[in-house]
This record gives sequence, C-alpha cells and structure tokens, in this order.
Amino acid sequence: MEQMNRDMHEPPLSGAGTLGAISLRGVTRVFAGAVTAVNQIDLDINPGEFFTLLGPSGCGKTTLLRMIAGFETPDAGRILISGREMQDVPAHRRAVNTVFQSYALFPHLNVEQNIGFGLRMRGVKAPERKKRVDAMMELMQIGPFATRSATQLSGGQRQRVALARALVNEPEVVLLDEPLSALDAKLRTELQIELLRMQKRLGMTFIFVTHDQHEALVMSDRIAVMSKGKIQQVGPVLDVYEKPRNAFVAEFLGLSNIFALTPSTAHKVQTVLGELDVAEPLQGASLAMIRPEKIWFYPATTARERPNMFPGVVRESIYMGAATQYRIELANAQFITGVETNNKAAERSWCPGEAVLIELKPENIMLIEP
Amino acid sequence: MIPRKLGYALSGFAWPVYALLYTPLALVAYYSLAPAPNMAGHSFHAYHVLLHDGAAFAALRLSLILALCSATSATALGTLLGYGLCRFRSRNARGVLAQLPSLIIYTPIIMPSLVFGISELIFFNFVHSVTGFLAAGLQTMLIAHITFEIPYVALTVFGRLSGLDQNLFEASHDLYADGLKSFLYLVIPVVQPAIIGGFLLGITLSIDDFTISFFTAGPGSVTLPIYIYSAIARKGISPEINALGTLMIGTIIVIALLHFFISRQRERTRQGVFPPPQQTKGAV
Repeated sequence: MEQMNRDMHEPPLSGAGTLGAISLRGVTRVFAGAVTAVNQIDLDINPGEFFTLLGPSGCGKTTLLRMIAGFETPDAGRILISGREMQDVPAHRRAVNTVFQSYALFPHLNVEQNIGFGLRMRGVKAPERKKRVDAMMELMQIGPFATRSATQLSGGQRQRVALARALVNEPEVVLLDEPLSALDAKLRTELQIELLRMQKRLGMTFIFVTHDQHEALVMSDRIAVMSKGKIQQVGPVLDVYEKPRNAFVAEFLGLSNIFALTPSTAHKVQTVLGELDVAEPLQGASLAMIRPEKIWFYPATTARERPNMFPGVVRESIYMGAATQYRIELANAQFITGVETNNKAAERSWCPGEAVLIELKPENIMLIEP
Repeated sequence: MIPRKLGYALSGFAWPVYALLYTPLALVAYYSLAPAPNMAGHSFHAYHVLLHDGAAFAALRLSLILALCSATSATALGTLLGYGLCRFRSRNARGVLAQLPSLIIYTPIIMPSLVFGISELIFFNFVHSVTGFLAAGLQTMLIAHITFEIPYVALTVFGRLSGLDQNLFEASHDLYADGLKSFLYLVIPVVQPAIIGGFLLGITLSIDDFTISFFTAGPGSVTLPIYIYSAIARKGISPEINALGTLMIGTIIVIALLHFFISRQRERTRQGVFPPPQQTKGAV
C-alpha cells in the first residue's frame, strides 16, 4: 500500500505544473449533420479535481467525455490535456483512461490480465507489470478474484476491476462514464464514498459523468450542469446547489419553488405570492427561487413580525424518513413545497388541513434567469 | 410452454425424420459390401478395389489440398472482411447504403452455386484470353473456392463481433492499443471460436462442392466429388463408390465423436477450476 502511494505521487515533472489539467475551448460536435450534441463548450478543469458533468440523458455529457478520451473528434474547438493540444493525438496516445458504463472488461482475459492490459500495450515488462497489478488489486480489494474470468464477477466486482484497469496506468486524468449506474442503491452509496477516497488519495483528476444529481452532490469538487449541448452552470457543489444561475439548474439539482417576479423598489420584488423582500441585487433576473428546506414553518398564531411571512394551509404531507415534505396552499391559491427535517417530529409536525405561517427569509431567496 | 402430450407427439414425429436421415446412409454402407453391382453376398472386395485405385486417392489428395488452402486463405480474408464490416462502417450512411455491407456479404451465399460457377468460368476464360494467366486448373479452382468461402467466414466473424459490447474496442484504444495491437490482442482472441468455426465450415464447403469445382476445373484437376460424378457417369453406382461413401461417413462420425468427447472433457476441467459462473444482470 505504502509503495503504491509513493508510485502514485510521483513528483511533477519540471514545467508540468498543469499535469492533469483539462481545457476546452469552443468544443462542438455535430452528429450526422443535424444534431448538435455539444455546442461551443468552454471549460477548465483543475488538476487533481473531482469534476462532474451532470445533466439529463442526451445533454451531450457523454459525447464531451468521449471527445476528451479521443473516441470522438470535435467538429470545432480545441481540447488541451495537461497543456498539450489533443487535436492530432489518437485515443491510444492520450494520458487518460476511461471507466465505461458497461465496464467493457475484456471477455477473453481474467481479472489480472484485464488490469494489466494497458501496461502490456505500453510495453511494461512482465515482472514490473505484475508488481503494479498486484498492488492495484490489493488497493481495490480484488486480489482473491485475480484468476477469475471477467464474466464470473458480480456487478460491484466488475466495477472495481474496471476502475483498477484505468488507475493502474497512473493516468493524468480518469474519465468515468456513469460507472455506478448499473449497481443497486446500497452498493452504489458504498462505492461512491470509496471512489471519492481513492481519488483524494491518488490525486488524479477525475471527470465523472452522471445524470444523478444526488451522486454529483456527494462526490464532486465542482459540477458542470449541462443541457442541450451547453453548459448551464459550472461551479463548486455548494454554489451550484445554493446559487443556481437559472431555472434549469435549480430544478435539475433538487426540489425548488420558482416564481416569476417583477421588480418594485430596491430589494423588493413583486411575485404571485405578494411582495417579497430579497437580499440579492436584481441584475436582470426574472425568477425568484427558494429551496423547500429553506422554508420556515410556524404555528398559524405566530405574530407576523418579519418580512416574507405568509399564512397558508397544509394540503399534503409526505413522510420521507429523515424529513417530511409539505405542500402548502397560500392565500391566493398558490402552492409552495416545503421540507422539514424530522428531528423534531415527535414534538411538532404539520397535518394536512392545518393552518400554518411560513417564512421565506430574504437571504434564502435566489434571483435567477429563466 | 409446450403441453406434455404435444411434446410426446412431437418427439414421436422426430423418429421418422431420423429414419429418413440415416437409412440412406445405412444403405450405402450395406451396398458397399456387395461383391459387384446387383449381386448378392458380402465381401470387402469393393474396399480392396478402392484402396488400390490410384485415381481415387489422387482425387482425394487434390480435394484435401484445395480444401485446406482455400479455407486457410478464406479464413484470413474473411476475418479481415468481417472485422472491417463491423468496425469501419460509415456512421452517416442511410438507407440502402447502410445495408450495403450485409448485402455484399449475403449475395454470394444466396446466389445459386450454378450461377456462381458459370460466372467464374466466364471470368477466368476472359482473363486467360486477355492476359494468358489463369489457365483452368487447380489455381482457378482455388480462387473460386476462396471466393465462395469468404462470405461464410466473414459472416461468422461479423456475427461474433457485432454481438460484443462495442465499448470493448474503445477500451482497447483507451488502454494504449493502436489499431494493429487492438486487432491482435483483442479482436483475434475474442473472435477465435468464430475464426475456427469459419475455417471448418470452409473446409466442409470446399470438400462438398461439386458445381463450382466442375466449372472451374482444368483437364487434370479432378477433385473427389468430380471423380465420384464421372465414375457414376461411366458405370453407374458401383460398390466402390458406396465403399468410398461409407469411408467418408465413417470419418465424419469419428470426427464428430472426437469433438464431442474433447469438448466435454474441456468443459469438465473448466468447471473443476472455477465455480459455475454467477450471473449478475445489471441494468446496462
């Protein structure tokens, strides 16, 4: 293990400060002359970062990943890996390795041979190869399966082998195309954490493609939310969730309440709910968004002493274990969704039909674009 | 699910079919023991005559040479063709163009061998009259056999390759294999069963073929089927021909049994080494 760590943390070559960095400039891919899968994407991914491309299926995230891997050629734009232009570099000469959604383990090779394939193709001699493959198998805890055929493994084991097969080559960048989507929920959660630990430990750049917003939030340093071939927002996890730029990002990353607004005075906007105090400057936004968990509930008898407090009636209450989701009807037939954690459920929960007072704190209201 | 009674009825129906398949073969073996055509009694006379018939052995030798050479060449070319058809298709092809590869493969298989043989004959005559090369003989038969075997090999290889996860090819490139290495270390080992299957099919087709050989053969090149045909044309079905047929049937039965026992043995050793595979179906 110790040996492994040292191997993986080779000191950066002189002048290679950008090792593992990826830059995309105006990258575009058009399929069959009609469908623009990836449209003018500019993106910078930092070395050693766990970066997630998040978006619904067909948004172009996999196509983007495949262009970085070299399986697809951009119709326009430039891709730089570790500062080097990738225009004329074929997939087999790029210092990136991919973990495929289907794992794509070679059916004619056993686990050990699968993991050693990359080293073998690069001409690493057998003794050295064995040492590195063994170390990687130990790290991934798949040693006992070394001589099994890839077809005789469970889903989780295959996933580990696929990851080991990529990592053993010590690539500058690891590309992961929805590698956990074929696994059941429990295993998936386990492997998410494991994958994250592995990445932090090895310090490689990971680019992770997923359509699962929860997975993206759990794992990433930064997220790029994609839709229709465009990046909607890039930023640290917290920013993307808490300060979505537009309605698509807000809705794709979790539940949200969105209302159209018209500006009235400074720090006040007019919505269907009534006048709202907001903390943010307006800056041309046309929608107000608030996350359900940021809605405060009070008994109906509470005095309305702060701004943005509205009376309402609970119409629906969905118990979800850790939290309960409420649907509140406000005075002017508007509905708003709120979530409260159940740490005080025994003490106080709201029943359908019950009158409540809700508060939307100005600092929790985000002003976003459509 | 087939109802049980229907199942019995169907298996009862199988026996007449088996009888139809094997009675003629048994008859051939039986008649091979006749001392002379339409003569009662049993003897190995026919086998004795056959074993001292130089022409028959020369024909057998030519058939085997033709089969081995043509199947080997067709396997190499057909494998490349199958690989190319699977991997290097134009993504933008639509309609008939997209179907073109499979049409190219299927056409020679569907084409009656009579048409194929005659067209080869015309082609070789044309080339010979223009260039002086390709006089009818072993070389023309070889070319014709390679040509008609290629689609069968290409089809088996193509079938195997297109059944694979297409990400495998990308995975090999991702792991530093260029086109050639990917072909040698991924494609060849993975399609190996299909390649062997295609090769054996090629041998069978070549040995079996009469029509195409007949049209492309030269004066001296007599394969076993041509020999048998001309022997029958000269003096009808003699016990020697039956003896030859019996020997061929025997050889094939022996090979089939060998294959059966070898593969069973292999299956057993494999199950001894590994526990039976546990199937895990993920939503892929």
